[in-house]
Amino acid sequence: MSLMKKSVAELVGTFLLVYFGAGSAAITLMISKGSSPPNPFNIGIGALGGLGDWVAIGLAFALAISAVIYSLGRISGAHINPAVTIALWATKRFATGDMVAYIIAQMIGAALASFAFAATVGMDAVTVGGLGATAPFPGISYSQAILAEAIGTFLLMLTIMGVAVDERAPPGFAGLIIGLTVGGIITTTGNIAGSSLNPARTFGPYLGDQILAGNSLWQYFPIYVIGPIAGAVIAAFLYDYLSKE
Amino acid sequence: MKCYLCAKEGKDRDAVAICIVCGMGVCMDHAIREEVAVWEGGYPFPAKKLKRTVPRILCKPCYSAYHEG
Repeated sequence: MSLMKKSVAELVGTFLLVYFGAGSAAITLMISKGSSPPNPFNIGIGALGGLGDWVAIGLAFALAISAVIYSLGRISGAHINPAVTIALWATKRFATGDMVAYIIAQMIGAALASFAFAATVGMDAVTVGGLGATAPFPGISYSQAILAEAIGTFLLMLTIMGVAVDERAPPGFAGLIIGLTVGGIITTTGNIAGSSLNPARTFGPYLGDQILAGNSLWQYFPIYVIGPIAGAVIAAFLYDYLSKE
Repeated sequence: MKCYLCAKEGKDRDAVAICIVCGMGVCMDHAIREEVAVWEGGYPFPAKKLKRTVPRILCKPCYSAYHEG
C-alpha cells in the first residue's frame, strides 16, 4: 500500500471522527441553547441530561472510531490521532517519514470535517456549538487540563497496546474496545477539558472557529498537544516495559 | 477413500485430496489446488501482503461457489 493511499485513509478517518464526534458536542450545545445551566461548571453540555449528555457524546465518538478502525484499519492502521502515531513512532514501530505524512493528513482531515460540519448545519454550529471545540471548563487550570488530557490519552494508548499492538491480543476486538474506551474516557473527563485526547480533533474545530467566526481558542491548543502526546508516549513505553519477559 | 464426484458419475476412482471446505474426497480431476494470499497486520498497522502464499485444495463445487459468489 502506498504512503499516499495510507495518508488518504488517515485523512478520511480523522474527517469522520471529527465530523461525527466533535459534531455531536456542537449539536448538544445547540439543542441546549437557551436552557439555564444549573451551575457555572455547566456550559450547556449537561443541561439536558447531566452526565448523560457526555455519554451521548462519548458514544458518538465511540461508534465513529469503531467504524473507522474496522473499515480503514487494514489500509492505514486507522490511527486518526497524532498522539497515537507519535507513540508508535517513539517506540520504533512506525517510520519517521510515515509519521509526518500521517500527522499532516490527520490535521487536514480534521480541518475539512469542521468546515463540512459548518456547511452542513449552518453558522449556529460555529457561533453556538463552537464546532465542538475543546477548552478547559470554568475553574479548571491550564495544568489541570493538561493532566486530564494526559491521563485520558494514557488509558486510550494503554488499551491500544493491549488489544491491538500486542501479538497475544485476541483478534477482532480492537475496534469495538478502543471505541468504547474513548467513549468512557469522554464520559468521565469531558467536563474537565473536553476530553480531546487527540491534537487533530481539537485543531479542526479551532481552525474552523477562527476562520468562520474570528473566535480564537489557540491559547489552549498546547493543552491538546502536550497532554495527549505525553499520555500516549508514556503508556506505550510503560506497556513495553511491563510486557517484556 | 474414493472420489465422491466420480462415484456420483458411476466411476470408481481413488481420492487424492480432501476439500478443505466440505470435506469431500476428490480425485486429481476434481481437485483444484490454488495459492492463497497471506496478509499480516491490521490495526494499528497497515496490513501487508506477504510474498509467501499458502496452498488450498477445494473440490469443484466449492471452488465455483467461492468464485461465483
